[in-house]
Amino acid sequence: MIRRNGLDICLLGFLIFSAGCVPISKTIPISGSPDDLPGCYALFPSKPWESVHRIEATLRGGGSFSMVGVTKGEPSERQLQSLLLTAEGFILFDAERRNSRITVRKAVPPFDSPAFAKGLMEDVALLFLPPQAKPTSWRRDANGAMICNWEGPEDPHTEITGSTDSGWQILQRDKQGQVIKEVALSGPFVNGLASRMELRASKPASYRLRMTLVQPSP
Amino acid sequence: MKKFLFLSIFVTTGLLYGAAALCQDWTSLKEASRNIRSVQAEFLQKRYLRILTKPLLSQGKLFFYAPDSIRWEYLTPLRSVTLQKGETIQIYNFSDGVWKPEMAQAIESRRMVLAEISQWFQGRFDESKGFKHFYSPGPPARVVMVPGEGINRFVRRIEIVLSVRPGVIDRVEIEEPEGSRTSIEFRNVEINSNFSPHVFEKP
Repeated sequence: MIRRNGLDICLLGFLIFSAGCVPISKTIPISGSPDDLPGCYALFPSKPWESVHRIEATLRGGGSFSMVGVTKGEPSERQLQSLLLTAEGFILFDAERRNSRITVRKAVPPFDSPAFAKGLMEDVALLFLPPQAKPTSWRRDANGAMICNWEGPEDPHTEITGSTDSGWQILQRDKQGQVIKEVALSGPFVNGLASRMELRASKPASYRLRMTLVQPSP
Repeated sequence: MKKFLFLSIFVTTGLLYGAAALCQDWTSLKEASRNIRSVQAEFLQKRYLRILTKPLLSQGKLFFYAPDSIRWEYLTPLRSVTLQKGETIQIYNFSDGVWKPEMAQAIESRRMVLAEISQWFQGRFDESKGFKHFYSPGPPARVVMVPGEGINRFVRRIEIVLSVRPGVIDRVEIEEPEGSRTSIEFRNVEINSNFSPHVFEKP
């Protein structure tokens, strides 16, 4: 009996770990009503905003650290400014993204590589800016949740599903259809900003960012 | 000519009187600070950044025991603690439910800052290695610390605003060259109260 229980636990463990490896199936919605289209943008702030987040970063291998993230956005200009600070308030990183051009104002080691700046600002854009083009397909399901797809020849494929009530999910896939970044946003939403966000990246680097909104404004 | 002579005597007398008063206050401050054995306080830090319309707020606690034991702890938005006991400095950050020690490189950069803070709480502003001090009797009395070459790349000026309670610091204002500034207000300050010495050893 004890052996049987042990076997069950092993099987359960195997199933849990296996579940983590199952690729997330691609949702292909049919084109929806034009009235539903604004729903694809509902998770992104539409007016100028600024925020302070507590960020807990976990890297592959188990290393983790915490920082304060300060972000300011101007959605109509597709402009973002992002700062990383220590608990004391020392600025480790300060960069701006205007359209797709990144300008680094300050970067202290180990945050001073161009690859870090590009990766960080891409993550910030994924969290706060919708893809620039119109979705290639969208629909609202029976529960009122939106399912939106952006699929272009150049950019990564982006899928957005959910609602402000149930929370949102953003998936970014490479050209082979594999998920490279996965974001979960949950409420309550304050001034259009999610209280909690979790970003899991698997390619090219594997890491997880957990962000808690501590100071929304204005 | 007489007029200028009178004016000159008036100004000189005034300056001498002012200097004597200033000297008196400075001596009182030093005297009061000499009696400080320990300080325990809460603090509210306001970080004014150009990017934010409202300051970034952080709250924490401070423990100091003369001459060189400090616990500087942030409670929000990040939990982080810097501990100094004599020559030993430790920094821990709370992440994923546990306290994690900071890298040695980060510790060394805090050594000078902690040495400065220790001196401020003992009224030893004139012993600073990196700053020149200027005392203004107020009210409120203030000590302005102006950094020397090198440090002035990071800090433009520090102003320490003193409480009417002798030897107690009310507020510290730190100005940076690019326009950002930080204000740290101390609250519920307890002087020479008793607390466990372990606060300087473990997070």
